[in-house]
Amino acid sequence: MLIKYEFLKILRKKSTIIIMAASFILTTLLFGIQIIQYQVYNENGVIKGPAGIAYEKEQYKDLSVSLSEEYITKTILEVQQLFKNPDNIGYDGNEQFLIGDAYWNSIAPREKLLNTISKAYDSPDGTLGYNKFRNLDIKNGANFYQAVKLKIKTLLDDPSGNLSVCQKEYWSSMAEKAGTPFQYGYYGSWEIIISSFELLIFAILAVCIVIAPVFSGEYQAGTDSIILSGKYGKTKLVTAKIISSFLFGIIAFTLHVVLAYGIIFAAFGTDGWALPVQIANITIPYPFTFLQAALINIGVIYLILFAMVSFTLLLSSKMKTTYLVLAVLVPVLFIPVFLTPNGTTGVYNLVLFLLPYRAVMPEIGKYISYQFGNFVFNIFSVRAVLYVALTLIMIPFAKLGFKKHQAV
Amino acid sequence: MELQLQNLSKHYGKKCAVDNINLHLVPGVYGLLGANGAGKTTLMRMVCGVLKATSGNIRLNGKTQQELGERYYANLGYMPQDCRFYPGFTAREFMLYMAAVKGLDKKKAKSRTEELLYMVNLQDIADKKIKSYSGGMKQRLGIAQAELDNPSVLVLDEPTAGLDPKERVRFRNLISGFAKEKIVILSTHIVSDVSYIADTILIMKNGRIILQEPVGAVTCGIKGKVWEVLVPESEADMYNMQFSVVNLHHENNMVRLRIVNKEPPAPGAVIVEPGLEDLFLYYFGEEAKEEKLHVN
Repeated sequence: MLIKYEFLKILRKKSTIIIMAASFILTTLLFGIQIIQYQVYNENGVIKGPAGIAYEKEQYKDLSVSLSEEYITKTILEVQQLFKNPDNIGYDGNEQFLIGDAYWNSIAPREKLLNTISKAYDSPDGTLGYNKFRNLDIKNGANFYQAVKLKIKTLLDDPSGNLSVCQKEYWSSMAEKAGTPFQYGYYGSWEIIISSFELLIFAILAVCIVIAPVFSGEYQAGTDSIILSGKYGKTKLVTAKIISSFLFGIIAFTLHVVLAYGIIFAAFGTDGWALPVQIANITIPYPFTFLQAALINIGVIYLILFAMVSFTLLLSSKMKTTYLVLAVLVPVLFIPVFLTPNGTTGVYNLVLFLLPYRAVMPEIGKYISYQFGNFVFNIFSVRAVLYVALTLIMIPFAKLGFKKHQAV
Repeated sequence: MELQLQNLSKHYGKKCAVDNINLHLVPGVYGLLGANGAGKTTLMRMVCGVLKATSGNIRLNGKTQQELGERYYANLGYMPQDCRFYPGFTAREFMLYMAAVKGLDKKKAKSRTEELLYMVNLQDIADKKIKSYSGGMKQRLGIAQAELDNPSVLVLDEPTAGLDPKERVRFRNLISGFAKEKIVILSTHIVSDVSYIADTILIMKNGRIILQEPVGAVTCGIKGKVWEVLVPESEADMYNMQFSVVNLHHENNMVRLRIVNKEPPAPGAVIVEPGLEDLFLYYFGEEAKEEKLHVN
């Protein structure tokens, strides 16, 4: 009963409706813009928006293939054949590339796939794309998966990475778990989802703003003394306030997620959910499908949400006004936006990747690990443990803050 | 049922808001009188357990607030000064919410809500949002919520403040109706309110209880100290500044003054029967005079 009324108190506020409406509009714009701005090229020019998406999906119909050694060898050979005809080659004074029908018919429709394959043979910071195939020695086959392994090793051994032996072993062993050959196919929606998790930070902020007055609003409105003098004012009511805040947070955030990904799925479809994330970047060490990667990161984001809700409630129980709560909360959420990592190791980077804004990004392509003694943990596990711990620590303090509040 | 306040004090830094109060309260209506800032609200908040005492303790039937925990609050009904509500709630929703806070089961909550809304005459507008209510309606809702669990200790902090005379009479009757077999502590600085419904008068000054007497005997101490005197209009202001003037009545070119003072304020002054207002002014005359100076 108390939970119901506390939940109603949150919902009935005019500010809740305004903030939620604004947040839903913002989410629609942020995710909708990815459809409007989406563009692909063909020989006739640029195709934008839903037409571009439909065109690309059509191109992918022939690309739902298993990336076997035979298929990759054959693909590389086809590109090499194209380069053998001088009429197909253009030169911009810097590099040579395929032009005309050779490009538009044989490269453009599968350029993303060719780029994925070429990364296995390119240098760590190389961006040669299909050009890399021109002089590739494939007499003994493409040895693609061997090249992937070597590429990962090169990245792990890079001195700037500063990884310990344990960490290198951890990542190598994880990368080996990715099942081969990779299945390729269309994964338009998942590419956007994986790369735009940070946009959900606004939904977290909206939830926190709405629940900021849960305790401080009572102090500000002067209703604290009336409820604290009730039989359950310092006991069950506090629990009800916390539960209803979490309930609101979960429902409101889930609606944002459904809205955001509903928009993306409506435009791009759900194709590719079972494909391995390596087809977007062959050096990703996590042996996940796109769906698994998305779900794991969403799970972590929910834990971040819980911790931020707990933090908001803690501030709310300790501060006299809602404005003070927001004055602390907003910088905590958004200062990390202006801090850029300069690597994947070192205290600064390792802390930065755990701060709320950065922590919503999956960073699955980076070898970010936390070593405690001989134990190595990936970023998902550390974030999950950290945010669960923060939630468990802050909730009792929030409870105590209200219980001990003095209605002066 | 007995409520004991033992050596109760509250300090805010160096300022002492409540100073070593000892009271033993049994069922009855206690009118707590005091000027603004006397410490009435602080004392009531400590009794209601929403403000921690710096020292001393409060016992209900011999057990402290801490020992009783939820059971202490279960015996308590509190209507704070300037009672605030959730503007988006209707009166009925607010009553049901408070019933849940007070631990009433669903069935009892519903029946008690309807009963009290009827008693405070809010049943017809019970489904309207509280933000549309007048001050008087909100005060009535405030006392209704305090009565929800039929508490044995009812604490009402300035319940009639801001009400018009008709509402005040109505409110006094409501309180009298609720007061049976309860300890009711009613704070106010409107003397006439307590004179009608209180059994005992408690006078608080500078954080201390300086008088605790049954209402019938409370004025005995100032017998012979209340005077009436007829003075020319031109001298009225001088008297007003110099003495604690309870009442001032113009009669032709003269003014009849009612003055509380130990000595006769003027030759020809006549001793009259003291009332509660005289008593109030006797104790808070200095504050009243200061207020007059501020106004002037």
